[in-house]
Amino acid sequence: MRPIRPSSFSGEGVRDRQEVFEQLDPQHEKSGSGQRTMPAPILYAVTMKVVALVSGGKDSTYNMMKCVENGHEIVALAHAHPPEDAPQDELDSYLFQTVGSSAVSVIAQCMDLPIYLQAITGSAVTQTLDYEITKDDETEDLFALLCNVKHHHPDVEGVSVGAIFSSYQANRVQHVCDRLGLTMLAYLWHREQVGLLKEMVESGVDAIIIKVAAYGLGKDDLGNSLMQAMPKLISLSERHGIHACGEGGEFESYTLDCPLFKRRIVIDEVETVTHSDDPYSPVLYLKVKKLHVETK
Amino acid sequence: MVNFTVDQIRGLMDKVANIRNMSVIAHVDHGKSTLTDSLVAKAGIISSAKAGETRFTDTRQDEQDRCITIKSTAISMYFELNEDQMEDIADKSNGNGFLINLIDSPGHVDFSSEVTAALRVTDGALVVVDTVSGVSVQTETVLRQALTELIKPVVMINKVDRALLELQLPQEDLYQTFCRVVENVNVSIATYQDENAMGNLLVSPELGTVAFGSGLHAWGFTLRQFATRYAKRMGSDRNKMMAKLWGDKFFNQATKKWSSKTTDATGKHSDRGFNMFVLDPIYKIFATTMNGRKDEALALVDKLDIVLTSEERDLVDKALLKVIMRKFLPAAEALMEMICIHLPSPVKAQAYRCGGLYEGPQDDECAMGIRKCDPSAPLMLYVSKMVPTSDKGRFYAFGRVFSGTVRSGQKVRIQGPNYVPGSKSDLFIKSIQRTILMMGRYIESIEDCPAGNIIGLVGVDQYLLKSGTLTTSETAHNLKVMKFSVSPVVQIAVDVKNQQDLPKLIEGLKRLSKSDPCVLCFTSESGEHIVAGAGELHLEICLKDLEEDHAQVPIKQSDPVVPYRETVQTVSSVAALSKSPNKHNRIHMTAEPLQDELTLLIEEGKITPRDEFKERARRLAEDFGWDVNDARKIWAFAPEGSNGSNLLVDMTKGVQYLNEIKDSCVSGLQGSCREGPCTEEEMRGCRFNIMDVTLHADSIHRGAGQIMPTMRRAIYGSMLLAKPGLQEPIYLVEIQCPENAMGGIYGVLTRRRGHVFEEAQRPGTPLYNIKAYLPVAESFGFTADLRSNTGGQAFPQSVFDHWQLMNGEANDPKGKLYETVKTVRKRKGLPEEVPGLDRYIDKL
Repeated sequence: MRPIRPSSFSGEGVRDRQEVFEQLDPQHEKSGSGQRTMPAPILYAVTMKVVALVSGGKDSTYNMMKCVENGHEIVALAHAHPPEDAPQDELDSYLFQTVGSSAVSVIAQCMDLPIYLQAITGSAVTQTLDYEITKDDETEDLFALLCNVKHHHPDVEGVSVGAIFSSYQANRVQHVCDRLGLTMLAYLWHREQVGLLKEMVESGVDAIIIKVAAYGLGKDDLGNSLMQAMPKLISLSERHGIHACGEGGEFESYTLDCPLFKRRIVIDEVETVTHSDDPYSPVLYLKVKKLHVETK
Repeated sequence: MVNFTVDQIRGLMDKVANIRNMSVIAHVDHGKSTLTDSLVAKAGIISSAKAGETRFTDTRQDEQDRCITIKSTAISMYFELNEDQMEDIADKSNGNGFLINLIDSPGHVDFSSEVTAALRVTDGALVVVDTVSGVSVQTETVLRQALTELIKPVVMINKVDRALLELQLPQEDLYQTFCRVVENVNVSIATYQDENAMGNLLVSPELGTVAFGSGLHAWGFTLRQFATRYAKRMGSDRNKMMAKLWGDKFFNQATKKWSSKTTDATGKHSDRGFNMFVLDPIYKIFATTMNGRKDEALALVDKLDIVLTSEERDLVDKALLKVIMRKFLPAAEALMEMICIHLPSPVKAQAYRCGGLYEGPQDDECAMGIRKCDPSAPLMLYVSKMVPTSDKGRFYAFGRVFSGTVRSGQKVRIQGPNYVPGSKSDLFIKSIQRTILMMGRYIESIEDCPAGNIIGLVGVDQYLLKSGTLTTSETAHNLKVMKFSVSPVVQIAVDVKNQQDLPKLIEGLKRLSKSDPCVLCFTSESGEHIVAGAGELHLEICLKDLEEDHAQVPIKQSDPVVPYRETVQTVSSVAALSKSPNKHNRIHMTAEPLQDELTLLIEEGKITPRDEFKERARRLAEDFGWDVNDARKIWAFAPEGSNGSNLLVDMTKGVQYLNEIKDSCVSGLQGSCREGPCTEEEMRGCRFNIMDVTLHADSIHRGAGQIMPTMRRAIYGSMLLAKPGLQEPIYLVEIQCPENAMGGIYGVLTRRRGHVFEEAQRPGTPLYNIKAYLPVAESFGFTADLRSNTGGQAFPQSVFDHWQLMNGEANDPKGKLYETVKTVRKRKGLPEEVPGLDRYIDKL
């Protein structure tokens, strides 16, 4: 796949969606027979004030870096978290990464930015690729979250999101953005995953694996840094076709440090939680119990 | 090497029409090696005096000690026919000198993979049958193997001396015994012969394809010898005479007329031709020498024109008998003559064997070369086995040149069994260091070797595991991989006594696996080194070799273990539902058992994943009551590559994106079928139905990483819901014994969960033949146990026969079977309890 260089669109403003799309993935029309075209992430070269949707994971962090690289300014973070009374941290949400949620606000602290939180009250009511406004769907929680952000920062124009291949996610974020007149910024969209993973590690994203849920990954992988896990992820992707960036939910990560952070996070204590005790691909995650922030 | 030199042989190698490649095959202890010795004695490699005592082809110390052949051994011999004999050779030949490449093979069923390897490189087989014990299990097995490889058989009825000396059979009874043997052999031949390819192969004495004699005493004959003798004396035609010497042809001494009735019109008694002209002189020699009537014996000797030296005339009893018989009817003469006349030359044989040997198109240059046995065509050479050299860890590759000429220093393509034409997998291009002639204990270097000959190669052993094809043609396909009749059903775990020896053990295991066509060496999940063999004896020999030759370090061994197979006994009570790790995909699955016959057909390769699916579906529907629509939607057979008998069937209706996850589902199935849920043993005879599937709308969330483990859990869940069972391997045991030993045999069998299903007296002998089924798990120490309980009178032959379902459910903690399950799990280092159903299935 051709690397996407959003700067190549500089000065041309919004393009026709399909046209942009073809530039991103010329094969798309042929391959996507069963799926409707994804809402093309619109890539702006104009400087915008941006709210970053963060899950704490590497992709959302790296996309923030990409936004900054492209001249945008991140003014706030937004995060959807499991409700207080949820029995466990992992909701198996279709839309949000929920493990490690408790530690996301620390990221905002590290970046000296405000963070807006929203409890996830809905669930995946509409499970098709496309989204229509549905009552009690978790997408409406996202809508509420971004409404809240917009209320506090009326000048926000863009939304940073770390989606790579998940049309499901991208469609929903796009849907919400359209309703609020915001622009979605997804610089990782349709990037080749092995290359992307290497690039993230090289550009200084220090993240650890906090959840595993795929064939070949297990307890030993939990807590490993991306750099440590990379060889295994690449070999699994070659042998079993597992997505190296965990885009299919194979694993989730939590970012400890990246060049945008002013301070770095140090985890002091974690607890391993078994989510489903499957002998072949157990689903396990780390619950962060204690951490602190140290200056770089 | 008195009678021939390597140069002479090399000269003969070019005269392909005068080559006979043959193996000697038989039931254990029917006297193959001893008989071979008498042939070798004739060809002159060992002195005639030692014939019958040396077992020339048993090159190993343990073979000599145990008096059984373990490895097959090849020797080349040279024999000249006289003009008279040349007349009977139907095909064109080149001079009267013949090169005979003979392979002596083991008779014990545990080593029948060696027989397979021997048969592959030969065109004819000398089937040896003991007069007294008759056609036994292993005789039938090797005959079947020979015929499926398109090998022409001739028969030697051996140990006739025992019938005369021990059983004292009257002439007519002996004739009847011979008849029965011939008949039984012909029953097997008729069942397995391929008449279209090779014509009628039934053997019969009057055609000269059956010989009689004693390998131990080195005498033997075919009717041809007697016919020649009498034809000369009576002045009649030899072939007409031969026909009269067998069957219901009676000679009236008074009228000197032949008839087909025992009494003529006047009521006078006529004698059977065979008895009168063939058996009578032999009986007389036996009677006179063994009863101290030496003068009569010597008179008879003179009458038969047998020349004895004066020392020989001084011998008495058995020694004298041996000398007289050997001079009267030399076994080697008779057998060599039979072999040269009746077994095909490579030219003749390869013309019809090509179709069964070559995997590629039958009209490419390699196939043409094989069919014509053309020494100038591209090289096609099949390596059938590896023979250890005196240099530890190195092997001679032993094989047959089917086309072209192989030379020292020649660059060849070495294609392993997994080579795919056009690809580079399992392919090496290397030079052959040396070509050698292998003759029993000796080897001789030889410059080159043309098509039709058997040869040893130096310097290709590192590139082949056990067998393979060597060729010079880039487009050549493989020569067909050999199919063994025995399976490695007995396993043993080995370990070193001193940990620092471990690398040597690993190297030794590699060498062991190379040196034996059938043995399997692998490392189990729990890290044990496993050696698997066909039976207790086979394993014992393998382990001895491993310890003494291949690894040369002290070795510990576990108790032998048997593999089990996991299966299901009913249809899953409800469909098992499993969710993917991200919980966004669901698979509903049921398991059910396949019919036994269907499982067998799949395992025999009669129903395969490669069949045309509509054709296969119709067959499943007609013969096994499948729904045609289901039968058309078989996604996979598992485990793949080994005729796996577990099926995955898509029974869903209108599920979107289902085809996208098919590959992931199949991979999941393949993985799980190698390790069942209860004991992590292979699965067998299970049908898995995908009843329904719910998938995440986005393809990224239903990748292999999500679907494979889900399939595995769904499969295991569905099995646990369908009364999981275990199957154990069962031996077919054949025991021959006198009547008084039968009580002991029944006792031993009963104690070991065995049961007798056939018991018959061998006609004409006091021996009984017992056939029984015995679980392999109970077979350890069976032979010794049987011997001690029968005073050493019973000797069993065990061969793997089938898998049998054990009573009970494998996941029922209260059942008896659970003990077995726990033992297996413990050995594998798994938690002793079978994981509960809740680990595999989810709630909606």
